[in-house]
Amino acid sequence: MNIYSREIKDKLKSAMIWSVSLFLLVLLFMSLYPSFATDESIFEMVLENYPEVMLKAMGMTGVNMATVIGFFTFCMLFAQICFAVQASIYGFSILSEEERDMTADFLLTKPIRRSKVFFSKLAAALTALVITNAAFWGSTYLCLSLFNGGHKYDPKVFAQMLSVLILFQLFFLGVGMVISMSVKKIKSVLSYSMGLAFGMYIVSASGSIIGEERLSYITPFKYFEPNSFITEGGYDTAMIIICAAVIVVSISAAFFLYNRRNIRTAS
Amino acid sequence: MNIILRELKASIRSFLIWAGSLTLLTVVWMSEFSAFANDDSMLEMFASFPEGMMKAFGFETFNITTLTGFTGLVFTYMILILSIHAILKGNSVIAKEERDKTVEFTLVLPVKRSKVVLGKLVAVAINCLLLMTYLYGLIMVLGQQYLPEEGFVKFFSLLALGTLFLQMIFVSIGIMLGCVMKQYKRSGYIGASLLIVLYIMSVIIDFSDKLEFLKYITPFRYFAPALIKENMALDWTYIIISIAIIAVSLCIGFITYKKRDLYI
Repeated sequence: MNIYSREIKDKLKSAMIWSVSLFLLVLLFMSLYPSFATDESIFEMVLENYPEVMLKAMGMTGVNMATVIGFFTFCMLFAQICFAVQASIYGFSILSEEERDMTADFLLTKPIRRSKVFFSKLAAALTALVITNAAFWGSTYLCLSLFNGGHKYDPKVFAQMLSVLILFQLFFLGVGMVISMSVKKIKSVLSYSMGLAFGMYIVSASGSIIGEERLSYITPFKYFEPNSFITEGGYDTAMIIICAAVIVVSISAAFFLYNRRNIRTAS
Repeated sequence: MNIILRELKASIRSFLIWAGSLTLLTVVWMSEFSAFANDDSMLEMFASFPEGMMKAFGFETFNITTLTGFTGLVFTYMILILSIHAILKGNSVIAKEERDKTVEFTLVLPVKRSKVVLGKLVAVAINCLLLMTYLYGLIMVLGQQYLPEEGFVKFFSLLALGTLFLQMIFVSIGIMLGCVMKQYKRSGYIGASLLIVLYIMSVIIDFSDKLEFLKYITPFRYFAPALIKENMALDWTYIIISIAIIAVSLCIGFITYKKRDLYI
């Protein structure tokens, strides 16, 4: 419990900053919506500015941007990038930061099992992610009520879209953890996190342009592509299973590696 | 000189990792292009569209069946990656000394602090230049098999030059943040968030005429592939803005680092 409370104190501030930034992101996007929805010609203008391949890359094919949900899809993509960066930062840092800050030997000589350290840290990171997630639900709800431009929308599709976010976060958390445990030392958490999050995003976006189906199995941006909730009316079960499998495997592997890790101390 | 060499040597590993992953990405892209290259059926499909529709879908700027159009499209993402690389490198080259607790050692050497920063700046700039040159060569070579059309070489050379400007902007901002921010940990996060914000700006710019002014704010728009394709030249206004941003951030960086209270 001590480790948990120590960790959560650390993470709480960061979770707050992420929640506020995500709120601002949704606010920014949705505040543009009313002017957008009233004028069909603006919609056409946007189509003119975005070549179809670009729409594909942004996961906007088959989506009518003049509807609330269509417009939100666009915002969702950027929110996903932010969620990916946040979860990767947590994933890469929670287990590796002690070694980098030379506090690992202090922590691990305490009379507790390593598994307990592992689970406390994991629980703290998870709490922070859930807080951000919940804040995002709140921001979405608020901004949708404020800026729906008088258009009707189906809350169920939004709920569906947001409900898989937690899997999305866990994917990056888990993968971050297992990578941080498989390398000797992580010097800069940020480079790894940006690399993982943006790498996945770019694989997904450029994969859509070139229409490569196989690429979609490696990137969570494809598992939960926002527009598929509209065009296909739900999520792809196969993708959910792949994602869940990756999460389970990566977190167990990280656990296994952490338990036997040779801790490098200050010498 | 010693500092430059030391920094270059220290960055070899990370350079290889970056170059390796970018190579992989480029090779996948360029091999996928074969599906589009001079695909007549696709061209016929486009030709059957009314002209207004062609315009509406922007196929005139980015015709995916030509090498120019295809490169212009996918290179947007390369630009994003190179910018991330630049801002992270610029920031960490300064911040890592405090993180690895080597800053006291470096700064008691008989060199001025400004010279330390200068050496680091040169090293990172060389890194970025090498990465860009390498990618330029790679895409040029891989593009040969598709018999690039007239104008491709010029378009892509301009694009590469513009991207180089962009990289330098982000390197300078990264160095400035590393020098100005009191805590080395925070400077990296601020740099990364700044980059994300600028990227989002560059995308929402087309949403509304009122956002037009953003094009001067987000560097991603200065040398965007679509702009270069249209003018077949780099825009002088943006070159001047870029140089101004680089100069100002480096000045701030150099001045503050001189008086920096080390975070140890």
